[in-house]
Amino acid sequence: MSLQILVNGIATGSVYALIAIGFALVFNILKFSNFSYGATMTVSAFTAYFLVASKGFGLIPTLLVSATAGAIVSLFGEFVGFRRILLNNSPTTYFFVSSITLATLYEGLVTIKVGASFFRYPDFFSVSTLNFAGTVISKSDIIMFIISAIALGILAVIIQKTRIGRALRAVSFDREAAQLMGINSTLIIQITFVLSGIFAGLAGCFLGIKYTLTPTLGSLVVKGFISSVIGGLGSLVGAVVGAMLLGIAEAICLKIFGSGWATIVTFAIMLLFLLIRPQGIAGSNVQEKA
Amino acid sequence: MALFINVLTQVCITLVAVCGIYVLTGLTGMFSLGSAAFMAIGAYASGLITIKLGLPIIVSFILAILMAVVVGFVIGLPVVKLRRDYISLVTLGFGESIAQLLIQMNYLTGGANGLLGIPRKVKWPIALASAIVSITLVAMFKRSKYGRQCIAVKSDELAAEAMGIDSSRIKMIAFLLSCALTAFAGCLYSFYMGYVDPGIFGWKKSADWVIMVFFGGVNSLTGSIFGATILSALPQFMRSLRDYRYVVYAVMVVLIINFKPNGLLGEWELTPTHIKETFKKIKNKFNRNSKES
Repeated sequence: MSLQILVNGIATGSVYALIAIGFALVFNILKFSNFSYGATMTVSAFTAYFLVASKGFGLIPTLLVSATAGAIVSLFGEFVGFRRILLNNSPTTYFFVSSITLATLYEGLVTIKVGASFFRYPDFFSVSTLNFAGTVISKSDIIMFIISAIALGILAVIIQKTRIGRALRAVSFDREAAQLMGINSTLIIQITFVLSGIFAGLAGCFLGIKYTLTPTLGSLVVKGFISSVIGGLGSLVGAVVGAMLLGIAEAICLKIFGSGWATIVTFAIMLLFLLIRPQGIAGSNVQEKA
Repeated sequence: MALFINVLTQVCITLVAVCGIYVLTGLTGMFSLGSAAFMAIGAYASGLITIKLGLPIIVSFILAILMAVVVGFVIGLPVVKLRRDYISLVTLGFGESIAQLLIQMNYLTGGANGLLGIPRKVKWPIALASAIVSITLVAMFKRSKYGRQCIAVKSDELAAEAMGIDSSRIKMIAFLLSCALTAFAGCLYSFYMGYVDPGIFGWKKSADWVIMVFFGGVNSLTGSIFGATILSALPQFMRSLRDYRYVVYAVMVVLIINFKPNGLLGEWELTPTHIKETFKKIKNKFNRNSKES
């Protein structure tokens, strides 16, 4: 039984990890919380639904379309919402309002298109569950876990091993110094937004498979935020660890308290974490520069 | 006429809440995406106290606001010492949890169906008076020692600390005042509508308020009030365009943030000095124009 809970927790955690990492990427480089991220997930999940999944294509094309849509939306957001603010050297609060506004915009557009109705992705697998030594694992959970792991692995390689990754780390460390060293920081920021958008697309698609597609799907981004707070804001490793812990904690709460209370208990966990260890598990607390 | 009075009352209730947001966002530079949750606390607590305990409305208002302040203190305690991002993240999580909690405690709150049977005691004169009182209160707060400390903390926390301002304490005061005002708006709301349901207190509502504040001018109370009045009154008269409302809002705000980052009114306030200066400016312009021609 406990193994079942663990499996469920990891499955949920792997989706949360995707949300948290896309959020942390942008946080890392521009030092603000990107609230348009949730709505980006919604938009890309719906785009994938209408373009591909409803026409009977399989899982992989749906994921690809969703990721592409996420990247495009995210890049659009950077261009419309953040470019000028960045060039004006405006205070962080403006990024904030801009991202909230973009979230409202995306969600409003999706609402116009679909209304308040529910949508479901078609079933991608003929047999939906596997029985493994008394533990029931749904096939889509396995696929999600594998794809999340692959995506995170690729991201880690990009950040640690490539020239772009090194530039990205430099820009997130100090944008102006990086610019002086000849790094095109605008381009790097764009690349970050594209990466973050890809993760938004994947996460949105997975959430659509796991739950149902509604215009308010994006509010699940709260889980990603909580994960990154637990893991430490701005830390990529922390985000993944936090997401896994949150997923498992939620599965346990689900077992003990029932579905409605899980949200409340996880929130209490986050508050406790902030009281005891505000810098998160990874301990990299991004401080505002004076 | 009935429509006009309805709109007036709703705008006044929104104004009370926006005053709270102005204290938090405009003065102190913090963002709360869970302000609507404090409104929910106010609405539900005051309604429940009146229905179940039969206490007079004034008492239930005061108790509800006190409760919101206590909750706000618990939420704010870990947050005010940290970077400002945390307050938005935490309040966002808090807002979602409150919505869940209201649905879960259905033996008390009526769950997703909402709380019915609250006496409809708030009419437009009360709403208008509350709005005026709240605005006056916030204007006085802005001019007081605390308000100036808030502005200092907003512009540069480190420098403010160096001047001897206890920035976490100031942040907490602003946060609690904001909680109290939004809770008050919630009380007014529930006693005006006669019923409340958890659906309307999502983060969207809080985001709406922040957008209103930014629309009119984040540094100016007059601007925030102006923005809130326009943005909350307009959609009431254009019911048919309801779905497009958010899109129109968002586009307007994106334009304002990009091209006029201080909002429509900037730092301008409705005080005698500012009005005089504006008149002088207009006069100068007029004189120059007439000389040139």
